[in-house]
Amino acid sequence: MALRAAILRHIRIPAETSLFKNGLKLQAWNRFMSSHGDDHLDKQQVIDRVLSVVKSFPKVDPAQVTPDVHFQKDLGLDSLDNVEIVMAIEEEFKLEIPDLEADKIDSCNLAIEYVSNHPMAS
Amino acid sequence: MSISYIARRASQKEKVRILYRRALKDTLNWAVHRHLFYQDASDLRERFEANKHVEDIDTIDRMIADAEAHYNKFRHPDPYIVPWAPGGSKFTRNPTPPSGIEIVYNYGREDND
Repeated sequence: MALRAAILRHIRIPAETSLFKNGLKLQAWNRFMSSHGDDHLDKQQVIDRVLSVVKSFPKVDPAQVTPDVHFQKDLGLDSLDNVEIVMAIEEEFKLEIPDLEADKIDSCNLAIEYVSNHPMAS
Repeated sequence: MSISYIARRASQKEKVRILYRRALKDTLNWAVHRHLFYQDASDLRERFEANKHVEDIDTIDRMIADAEAHYNKFRHPDPYIVPWAPGGSKFTRNPTPPSGIEIVYNYGREDND
């Protein structure tokens, strides 16, 4: 108790912090709980995470995976494996890809492009 | 090997891929835990693989129709939807303001700053 009083007597905190002083900083701050596309991913992060998803697919040899690999032509997967990989990428980035668009994604390149252009990817 | 045959095969393949995708998602809705889902997913995959080598085009059409009917019959009544997607729990909640609208965050408190 005595220690607490001694510390409190010597600490001064300014009454107004710089955070609330200018509206600009606050503007960037105050929607941080919102899920509406505030957390943009940078391209390299997307590439790394897409590649790690593809590498951890059981039928894929991790050494062969590069950012411009085609799932069926280069990795020897079939169309159903392709569907499973797209679904795994969807879960990784918390996306909901419409069926017809997901059907078009057949290579790492396309997947990376789709995810990095998606405003809701996180 | 006519053009119409190739086109019909292509549309069948697309149908099967989309059906597999929907069925796989629905499996995840029914089996919410991963250790249950993996078993169910590999069962589903086996059922697709069993008819991999069917050649007759009319038989394939009939099988796809049967499978779609089966899928519709056992569809989950309350599937998981990503929160921001239409039907999700966060859909149209707290939307970003439309472009061209400026929000004055310190409205009424300008003098205090």
